[in-house]
Amino acid sequence: MKKLVALLLAVVMVLTLVACGGGSGDSQTTNNDEGQTTAAKDTVILATSGEPYRFFAQSSQSCGGDDNLVLSNVYDCLLLLEADGSLSPALAESYDVSEDGLCYTFHLRQGVKFHNGEEMTAEDVKFTFDLGAAGPIGAALFVNYESSEIVDDYTINMYLSSPYAAFPYGVASRLGGIACKSYYDEVGEEGYMKAPIGTGPYKFVEYVSGSHTKLTANEDYWRGAPEIKNVIIQTVADTNTQILGLQNGDYDVVRNPSLDVCTRLDGVDGVAWNSALSTGRIGLLLPDWAGPGKDLNFRKAVQAAINKDDVNEAVFAGYSETLDIDMCSNYGGYVTEADGVEVVAYDPEAAKAYLADSNYNGEEFAITVTSGTILESCAKVVQAQLMEVGINCTIKAVDNPTYQDAWGTREYQAYINDNLCSLVDADGMYTVHRTDRWDAEHCWARDAEIEELLLAGRAAQGDARTPLYVEASNIITEEAYGVPLVNGLTTVAYSTALTGVEAHCLGNYNFYFWGWAE
Amino acid sequence: MSWLKYAGKRLLMLIPVIICVTFLLYLILAAAPGSLARQLLGDDATPEQIAAKEAEMGLDDPVLVRYVKYMADVCRLDFGESWVNGESVLTRFATRLPNTLLLSVLAMLFACAVGIPLGIGSAIKQYSLLDYGSSFVAMLLFSIPAFWLGTMCQILFCLTLHWLPVSGFDNWKSMILPTVILGANTLATMIRMSRTSMLDVIRQDYIRTAKAKGASMRTVISHHAMRNSMIPIVTQVGVSFAGTIGGAVVTENIFNISGIGTMLLSAVKSRDVPVVLGTVIFVTIIVGVINLVVDLICALIDPRIDLAS
Repeated sequence: MKKLVALLLAVVMVLTLVACGGGSGDSQTTNNDEGQTTAAKDTVILATSGEPYRFFAQSSQSCGGDDNLVLSNVYDCLLLLEADGSLSPALAESYDVSEDGLCYTFHLRQGVKFHNGEEMTAEDVKFTFDLGAAGPIGAALFVNYESSEIVDDYTINMYLSSPYAAFPYGVASRLGGIACKSYYDEVGEEGYMKAPIGTGPYKFVEYVSGSHTKLTANEDYWRGAPEIKNVIIQTVADTNTQILGLQNGDYDVVRNPSLDVCTRLDGVDGVAWNSALSTGRIGLLLPDWAGPGKDLNFRKAVQAAINKDDVNEAVFAGYSETLDIDMCSNYGGYVTEADGVEVVAYDPEAAKAYLADSNYNGEEFAITVTSGTILESCAKVVQAQLMEVGINCTIKAVDNPTYQDAWGTREYQAYINDNLCSLVDADGMYTVHRTDRWDAEHCWARDAEIEELLLAGRAAQGDARTPLYVEASNIITEEAYGVPLVNGLTTVAYSTALTGVEAHCLGNYNFYFWGWAE
Repeated sequence: MSWLKYAGKRLLMLIPVIICVTFLLYLILAAAPGSLARQLLGDDATPEQIAAKEAEMGLDDPVLVRYVKYMADVCRLDFGESWVNGESVLTRFATRLPNTLLLSVLAMLFACAVGIPLGIGSAIKQYSLLDYGSSFVAMLLFSIPAFWLGTMCQILFCLTLHWLPVSGFDNWKSMILPTVILGANTLATMIRMSRTSMLDVIRQDYIRTAKAKGASMRTVISHHAMRNSMIPIVTQVGVSFAGTIGGAVVTENIFNISGIGTMLLSAVKSRDVPVVLGTVIFVTIIVGVINLVVDLICALIDPRIDLAS
C-alpha cells in the first residue's frame, strides 16, 4: 500500500511540474536574451504600472488613462492632441465653427481604412460621437454635444446644445477615437472590446491579463507605415523593477517614472528621460464649510504661508512650474497677471498676522492625500511651512478609494489633489466649483457666482473668455478657497536606441512618432 | 485504504477553515472605508450613478447577506468576476497558478537540494569550518528581507555582470534569481533543521551500536541515521512550501512574474473583493493539500505513524 501511495505522490509531483512548465510560457513576454536580440530592431517593450484593459472607449464600461496607451495607437481622432497640448489635423483635414459656436463642421480625410479594410466615412464619425456621448464619460468629454448630421461621406456637422470653446479638445480625447460602425454592428460591444479595430497606426494583437498587451504596425496607415513594427505594453507593478529593467535592456521605455528616479538616470549610458508639463493642477483645497477653514483669516494665513517654489523644488526638483491660479499654462483660455489676475505672494509674516486675527486656537488641521504619491510629498512640504507659522497641521494619508470618497463627499478639512483636465482648457476649473455636484453645505459660499462666470467662460469664444476667467480666479484668490501649488509633470524614461520619444501633457504615447536611432 | 479515508477526512476539515478565513476577510474588506463604485466610475460620477453601480455590484445588501450569497455561489463553483475588469476569477487564477506553483516548487527544490546536504554535513562535521560557514549563511539568509536581497541580486547579476534578465519567468535564465530569492529563507530553515535533526539522531544508542559493530561512517549515516532524521525535515518541507506560496507575493512583484501573488496584491490594492476571496480560497485549499501530502510522505518514511488510528 505504501508503495502505491509513494507512486501516486511521485506522479502528482511530476504532473505538477509538467503543468507548470507548460503554462508559464503563454503568459509571459520575451524578456530573455534572445528576446532582447530580436526586439532590438522591431519591437519596443514599454513598462507600465497601470494595466490597460478597456479597448473600446465608447463602451458602457468607460475607460481611463491606462487604457489610452492602447486607444491612442489603435484609434485615430479627428484632431490630434500634440505633446504640448496644441491640436493638429488627423482624420479631419480641417474644421469650421459657426459664428454662434453651435455647429462644428469637420472635413474628413478621404481613403482612410480601418484595420478590417473598410473605409472610414462620416457615418462612422456620427456613430462614434452618438455612442460616446451617451456613455459614462460622454458628459465630461463631449460636453454639450447634441447630435451629428452627415452632409456627405466626408463632411459632418456636429451640433452643440450651447457653445463650448473646448469642444475640439473633446474631439481629440480618448473618447473621440473613431470606431467602425459596421464592425460594431457585427460583433457588438463585447466583441469590439475584445478585438478592437480603428484607423490608427497599430493593430491590436492580444491582451493577457496581468501580463501584457501586444500591438503590431498597421502597414496601410494613412500617414505611412510605422517604423516600430511591434509594441508590447508590459505590466510591471514594481517601479524599481521597471527602471532596473530599462537599464538592463529588458524594457525600452518606462512610463511616467517619478522625478527622483529620472534624475538618478542622468549620466547612465544608454538611457535618457524627458518630462512635460501635464494638464494637472496640483493644489490645496480649503473648504469654508469644515474645520479651521471656516474662518477667512485662517484660509488667508494658509494662502500666505505656502512657498510654492519649495514645493516645486522638493517634489519635482524644480522641473515643473508653480501655479498662480487654478489653471495650467497649457490650457486654452489661460489668463495671467498681465490680464488682471491677482497673485498672493509667499509672506510668512503676513500669514502670522492673518492667523493672529483668526479664531484659530491651535486645533488640528488635517490635509487629506493619497498615501505614497507625489501628493503626499507635496503635503509634507506644505505641512512644514504651515507649522512654521503656527498651524498644527497633520497629514491624513489614505488609500485611493478612501481618498476618492473624501472627494465625493467633501468630508475633509483640506485636500490636495492633482486635478487633471483631459480637455486642456480653462474650463477644467469647473469640476471644482460646480454647484450641481454637491449640496449647498458642501459648496463654497461664492460657488454660485464662480460657476456662473465659468459657464459664461465655456460659452464665450476667443478673447471674450479672458475677463470671465480673471474674475472667477480673483474671487477664488480673494476668498482663499484654495492654494494652487504646482503644475503636474509627466515623464518618460527610454533607451537611447529610440528616437522621437517625448513626454506628453496627457501622458499619451504615440508610438507612430518613435523610431530607431541610427 | 486507510490512507484514502484519512485524506478524505483531512480534505473535509478544510471546509470550516475556508468558511472562517473567508468570513473574516469579508468582514475586513466590507469595513474598509471608501466606495469602490466611486473609484470605478471616476470623480465625475453623480451620487445616483454610484448608487446604481453599487446595486449592480450587490453592495446595497447587508454584509452577512452578501457573504451568504457569495458562499452559495462558491458552492456552485461560481467564484464570480473581477469588479475591476470583469474577468472570471477562476480563469484568472487558472492562468496565474502555474507560474506561482512552478516558482514555489523550484524554490523548494533549490532549498532542499542545497540545504539538506549542507545541514547534514554540518552535523556530521560538527564545529568544523563547514559547520560554522553553513550556520553563518543560514543566519544571514534568515536576516535579509527578500525585497532587499532581490534588488541587490538584480543590480549585481543583471546590471553589473549582465548575466541574467531583471524580470520575467519564461526561460531558465529568468528563473534563476526568483528561485534563489524565494528559496533563500527556506534554505536557511533547511540547513538549521537538517543539522539539528541529524545531530539528534547520531547521538542515539542504535547509532552507537552500529558503529560498535564496525559499520563504516558512510553506512551508519546512509542506512541508519538518514531515514530517521528525515521525518522532521519532511514536515518542515510542507510548512515551508505553504510559506513559499505566501512569500511569492514579494518575489513575484520584484521579478514581475504574473502569478497569484501579484494578482492578490493588485486585487487588495483595488479592493477587488471577488478576486481577493477567490484567491484566498484557492490558496487555502492548496496549502491544505500540501500539508496532507506531507503527512502521507511522513507515514511512508516512519512505520510508527499509523494513518488508520
